[in-house]
Amino acid sequence: MNKNLLTRIRNFILLLTVQVFVFSRIHLFGYATACIYLIFILKQPRHTKTSELLIWGFLSGLIVDMFNNTPGVHAAAATAMCFARNPILAIFTHKGMADDFIPGVKNIKWGGYMVYSALCIAIFYTLLFMLELFTFSYPSILILCILSSTMLTMLFVAVIELFSSKGQRQ
Amino acid sequence: MQSILNFFIKHNHWFLFLLLEGISLVLIVSFNNYQGAAAFTSANSIAGNIYSAFTDIEDYFTLREKNVALVSHNKALLEEIESLRNELGTYKDSALLANAPRPVNGDEYYYNTARVVNINNDKNNYFITIDKGSDDGIKQQMGVFNERGVIGITYTSSDGFTIVLPLLNGKNSLSCKIKDTNSYSTLKWDGDDTRYSYLIDLPNQAGFGIGDTVVTSGFSSIFPEGMPVGAIENIEDSNDGLFFKAKVRLFVDFSSIGNVYVVGNDSREEQEMLENSLKEE
Repeated sequence: MNKNLLTRIRNFILLLTVQVFVFSRIHLFGYATACIYLIFILKQPRHTKTSELLIWGFLSGLIVDMFNNTPGVHAAAATAMCFARNPILAIFTHKGMADDFIPGVKNIKWGGYMVYSALCIAIFYTLLFMLELFTFSYPSILILCILSSTMLTMLFVAVIELFSSKGQRQ
Repeated sequence: MQSILNFFIKHNHWFLFLLLEGISLVLIVSFNNYQGAAAFTSANSIAGNIYSAFTDIEDYFTLREKNVALVSHNKALLEEIESLRNELGTYKDSALLANAPRPVNGDEYYYNTARVVNINNDKNNYFITIDKGSDDGIKQQMGVFNERGVIGITYTSSDGFTIVLPLLNGKNSLSCKIKDTNSYSTLKWDGDDTRYSYLIDLPNQAGFGIGDTVVTSGFSSIFPEGMPVGAIENIEDSNDGLFFKAKVRLFVDFSSIGNVYVVGNDSREEQEMLENSLKEE
């Protein structure tokens, strides 16, 4: 249990560091910004309590906000995503599965994992850009931002999943 | 009673969710009136110091470019000294006779240097963080520039760090004029290209053209008069036909800002007080 917590904190810090110093600084075509720190939430075990997820999500969002000068925006979006994660994950689980597992290609297959991640991340970006732009005057830009950022983040989710699932097999 | 308690325990994540979202929204809203907002931005000391350490490392990778820039700046300064010295020689005699008055707006301005520790280059939210704060005498609404030209205006500061709103921020507008003319206008960014900004209400009269230099007007006393901002790239009619809109190529390259200067004005508060007292009447 203790070791488990330490690994979690290590991953938390690692992902946030890379996020803040690398990914938050890259705005592809001026619209797409990847938020890889969300992988931390996606990779929490199935039976993690929603309230626990909420706290992790809020904390990570707040830290990213601090470095981005966007107080509250990431925190609000990440909290909302955490709230929706357990219900979304429930769609992809069925009775025959192991009791508790970390979502990944091994248990919910590539299709399941990608759709699960995409749903979570789309919720996150929808809120993020709505709060950041704080207006509905430019719906095309809003939609462009949401779609491009979701796709960019999904790319990294897929790459990281590819490498981590290979690493576990060996 | 028991069932109400059970309800709360069973749905505790709902309340936690609403609480955390509430906190986030308060943060978002309170950042707009910028008192006390510094705590949750990169002006806070933890984030500021981490950025500062990161920039120390980053600086090594750009040392060469920075040295080249410094050398060329030095060269320009030396040349300026030389030309001023020549000028001084020619004026020495006439100065004794004329006893020329000193420029009115000379002494009130004081300068400070600072280093950029972070640039947040998000189109919707462009910020620069510098490593000097209120301990170094930096306040809100001071001018920031480097050897090339105007960068922006300070926004909020903590003890050791300050956030600068650059010209590339929609919240910012700067009073400018065309060099050597009396055409005054406001510079505002349109949120698109980081190399260009726009003079939005240029009076519809002759006397300037493409290629002219845009400098600060000195009206707001944030910057002294005549500080370089950019050069006019093209001019078009605005919709109402009363004004021109000019595209300005900014002198400062916002992708590579290292060392900056901060300029303050002692008499600014006095000027503001005077202007505000007029408004109240």
